[in-house]
Amino acid sequence: MNIIFIHKNGHINYFVSANMSAQKDCEFLVKRARELVSEDPCAAKAWLITARTLYPADFNIQYEMYIIERNAERTASAGRLLYDMFINFPEQPIVWREISVITAALRSDCQDKHAQFLRGLFETLPGRVQCEMLLKATEQCFNTLEKAEMLLLLLKRFPESVVQHGVNLGETLLEAEASENLETPVNCFRKLFVCDVLPLIINNVDMRLPASLLQKYMLKAAEFYIGYVTRSQEVGSLKSPGVSRGSQRYVIDGLSEKSSVVAEPWERLLDILAVVGARCEWQGDKGQRSYVDMLQRVKELCCYLPGLEGETRSRCCSQVVICAALVLFRSAFLYVSTVQPALFQGVNALSSGPWILLEDLSSVYSDVEVERGAVKHAHKKRKLADGREKTMSSDDEEGLSKGRGRHILVNKTEMPSWSETLDSFRTARESWDLLHSHDGLETEFKKICASWKTDSWLWFRIFLTDMIIYQGQYRKALSSLHQMTAVQQPQPGQQSPSGQASLEHHRALIQQASCHYALGEYRVYTHTHTHTHTHIHSYINTHACMVTSTRVPLVLSILGNDLRLLPCTSKAILPFCLQLMLACFKLRAFTDNRDDLSLGHVVVLLQYDWPQGEMLFLKAVDKICQQGSFQYENFFNYVTNIDMLEEFAYLRTPEGGRIQLELLPNQGMLIKPHLLLPPSPLTHESPLLHPPPQVYVVCLSVYSCRHHTVTRGITKGVKEDFRLAMERQVSRCGENLLSVLHRFCINEKIIIIQSLP
Amino acid sequence: MGDIRQSLLPRDVLSAAKELLYHLDIYICNLVQSGRQPPQVDTKTLELVEEFILHAPKDRNAPPRRMNALQELQLLEIMCSCFQEQSRDTVRQLMFSALFSLQGNQADESRMALLGKLVSMAIAVGRVPILECAATWLQRTHRVYCVRLARVLVDDYCSLVPGSVSTLYNIQSSSPRFCCQFITAVATLYDLTSEELTPPLELLQMIVSWLQDDPRLVLITFLNTPLSGSQPISSLDLTPLGGLVRWCVKAPLAYRRDKKQSLTNGSSECEPDVGPLFSALHLSVLQVFMLLPNILNEKGLFGRLALLQMEPLAALTSDLSRLLDQADKHTHSSSTDTHALSQLALDRLAQALQVAMANGALLCSREDLRAICSRLPHNNLLQLVMSGPVMYFNNIHTPPLAFSPHASHSPITTHPTHPTHPTHPTHPTHTPLASHPSSHPQYPAQPFLSGMPFPFRPSH
Repeated sequence: MNIIFIHKNGHINYFVSANMSAQKDCEFLVKRARELVSEDPCAAKAWLITARTLYPADFNIQYEMYIIERNAERTASAGRLLYDMFINFPEQPIVWREISVITAALRSDCQDKHAQFLRGLFETLPGRVQCEMLLKATEQCFNTLEKAEMLLLLLKRFPESVVQHGVNLGETLLEAEASENLETPVNCFRKLFVCDVLPLIINNVDMRLPASLLQKYMLKAAEFYIGYVTRSQEVGSLKSPGVSRGSQRYVIDGLSEKSSVVAEPWERLLDILAVVGARCEWQGDKGQRSYVDMLQRVKELCCYLPGLEGETRSRCCSQVVICAALVLFRSAFLYVSTVQPALFQGVNALSSGPWILLEDLSSVYSDVEVERGAVKHAHKKRKLADGREKTMSSDDEEGLSKGRGRHILVNKTEMPSWSETLDSFRTARESWDLLHSHDGLETEFKKICASWKTDSWLWFRIFLTDMIIYQGQYRKALSSLHQMTAVQQPQPGQQSPSGQASLEHHRALIQQASCHYALGEYRVYTHTHTHTHTHIHSYINTHACMVTSTRVPLVLSILGNDLRLLPCTSKAILPFCLQLMLACFKLRAFTDNRDDLSLGHVVVLLQYDWPQGEMLFLKAVDKICQQGSFQYENFFNYVTNIDMLEEFAYLRTPEGGRIQLELLPNQGMLIKPHLLLPPSPLTHESPLLHPPPQVYVVCLSVYSCRHHTVTRGITKGVKEDFRLAMERQVSRCGENLLSVLHRFCINEKIIIIQSLP
Repeated sequence: MGDIRQSLLPRDVLSAAKELLYHLDIYICNLVQSGRQPPQVDTKTLELVEEFILHAPKDRNAPPRRMNALQELQLLEIMCSCFQEQSRDTVRQLMFSALFSLQGNQADESRMALLGKLVSMAIAVGRVPILECAATWLQRTHRVYCVRLARVLVDDYCSLVPGSVSTLYNIQSSSPRFCCQFITAVATLYDLTSEELTPPLELLQMIVSWLQDDPRLVLITFLNTPLSGSQPISSLDLTPLGGLVRWCVKAPLAYRRDKKQSLTNGSSECEPDVGPLFSALHLSVLQVFMLLPNILNEKGLFGRLALLQMEPLAALTSDLSRLLDQADKHTHSSSTDTHALSQLALDRLAQALQVAMANGALLCSREDLRAICSRLPHNNLLQLVMSGPVMYFNNIHTPPLAFSPHASHSPITTHPTHPTHPTHPTHPTHTPLASHPSSHPQYPAQPFLSGMPFPFRPSH
């Protein structure tokens, strides 16, 4: 045994510098500890404790101690050792590496066990050391974002440091945002500024900031939150159409997915507004309860505005403009998020499709004379109400804009949130009006709009357009819609498979048509758009687009005041389009001048929703009877309604008055009608385009009484070809009415356009 | 109080004892009330206690009065509630000493027997006041008796009733003072010289767990003892540190001996490995040492009070040296194992010495260390500890590690008996240079230079 010891004792007599020798000692001690750590960690620690008493100034010994505790994730002892190292070896790069790992864990939202341990470790350190560590770690950061996040950790933990660093950090972030030339306010710098730094600054009681700065920050916050809420989803929907839009992930460049989420943005904005308001000594109670309350308060405040001067006036102005603007943008967003949900990423677009605000045409089937009278009457009434001698001309938009009491009709089952939506629309309009009630307010508001570039916010333009349509400023609305169609023009190849983009594009066109109609400009214009590969589009393309080329001298707001919010589906839009055309031809057909073509079109169009238009049809028959003859060569192509056929068959009979009916097209058309017709769009199955059930019902009932009907016509001795045509036509009763009307629109568009004034 | 003897005599043993306890309580209350300093229980009263509670024979003629087991249990219960109900510490303490302070007479045997039972019962039913009194008793009484009390408790809780050790475990929280004294007593009792004097596994586990919960536990007595209070001669140490160091250092060799014995006895029972327990205990002891500088400084005792005494350490090293010799002689088969265990013992000794010294628990010079360790075989760490750290020339941070103002780095040549002297003619250099990373053959063999404290470093 002794021999072993002697061997062990085989020291060499050599001279090494003391430094070298001490280093060897330390290496020996650390090595022994490392050898033991896995099998007997207690022994390893005993070695290191001993080693540290021998060489307290040796970094590696302490680091080894730390590593053992850190690897075992013993928070308290590791924290203690880290503290010692931080105090005793502040210049060691390894310590700094360690600290940066820990601060990274603090910044990250990683929930794994080790990250949590590192965060816990940091928590064990005394506050002073935490503060110093964060400051030093911040100094070592070169990346603005990381540096800001680090400093933010400091500010969150040590509110007293907010006074010193808060505003600087905020300004640094805003500068970084500006210098990076980011296109959207929803960027990492702004997010950090608005969500993290700003609350610290404004809530710190020791901070005294000038009102102008606070308002500047307030607007920065508002711009961010509005931008966040209304963020569009352009990329995602194109790339992955199958993914539900509500669940789409949104990541702000430079941030993690989790920190990209902003919970309850409107509420946060309201919180900031409340604090800023209190700090700027705004009028009214300190806690802003809700956006609606806020609008009420600034409305009241507005009454005093003209009497105020100087400082007080400008403070009051700021308050009104900021509050009203926020209410405006929030309410407008809420409205547009229902009407055009697909625009926003944060809104579940699947809940309902787009909606479209149009003139209500439901009274189109009513008698044209009655209608005229009613309109005249309304006109008179309006004149009386205004107390001024004013004629309602299309240029007189001022007058129409007074239409405050206009109703917006909505199908309540199709839009469950109809009440909230209409409320939002109203609140937004009121805010807008308030902002434009004084020059001072308008100037301020325009400044905000300019700095936020609200002109480029498509969603806001949609609201504005609907608002001016509501106000009856159709001319303005048209120019706005023109701009929108230009913006929304789908790029070839970017067509989304669902046809959504195209439908939204046509949404603007349909609205234009409605506006033109409201202005009394009825020139159907089949635009040359070629996206007709689905029947939805072809319907809409064909029917909806009315563009002015001439002005009709007869200018009336024919359909009164009501508006209608319709779902933007072909099922809902097609009737509107048909009604729109009907309304146009109706006016022409029933003038004192004879216009058989228009009258024929009216008859064709009246088939839809039969027998809604029965009265009008009978009026048309009356007119034919008065004329004694009627020429409409398209009759057998497009009239398949059995009641109408029966009526026309009857007109030729002596009992019917032997009316001269020239309804036959050329021979070829009779023989091979489908050669001249475009392929039926209904060969493609589409649930949207199935005709309404009542169409089938009508057809079935017609089939069942066909024989009777036909014999009634023939046995009265009509000409053979007419008889044949009638027989053939009766056999077509089962044809889908929508496809018949669709063909009518497609094939006859030139005639239709020409026959319009 | 002597006059009540006549009234006690006719009573039966239990009621006489009860009556006496009652009177004792009143008597001591009056004594404390009178304000006489120090309150002293008179001899007559002590004699009454011996006669009627401890039943020591008064004279040869008197028939021995004895209690049966049931009566004794009843008496213990009465005593328990008597201490429990007494709200004044002083009274309680005086009463406890009147009953259990050793008088150096015949009655001491029954006194110890009754005390053992009372304390054991107090632990079982959680009578904290009695444990507190017992803690004081353990501080004032000769260590021989303290050890006896400890043994009774260990027997009761670790040996007699399996599973009852958890009851004993709770004294850590109910009476830390008693717990601390108990540890000191068992650390004194078990010196690992024989199997009988090796701590039972349950006890060891319990102590390790106590210390892991709170290492300061072993310092409670020290923390609560006033600076001026002179320790009674031959009482227990102020802390169990010395005893625990002895355990940890000797354990690798002692338990190996046990293992060997059990192997030769053919017993195949599988004892759980105590190695990790001692390793943990050793670490705890070192951690306690690390707590000392602050405490000692607060008390103004740094460098003045040695919690580890040199004499017991010297005894330990010579003990260890003997054990290592034996081990060397008796083991031939598993010499690597033996060697590792020997080195472990020496490592722990070196660690304890170094850490104790650095933290002011051991007041001596490196030279003193070399003196007491001179007979020990070579161990790198011990070598390093004996020579002390190399002082960097450019390092001003290293605090002095020894409290002796001189000689901490005196050259080894002043210590001719050191067995590991590198220049010793009988120990030529054996370690091959190639396998020795720290060797620097380019440096000439040169024993010392001035300024070089110690000419060789351990072979790492």
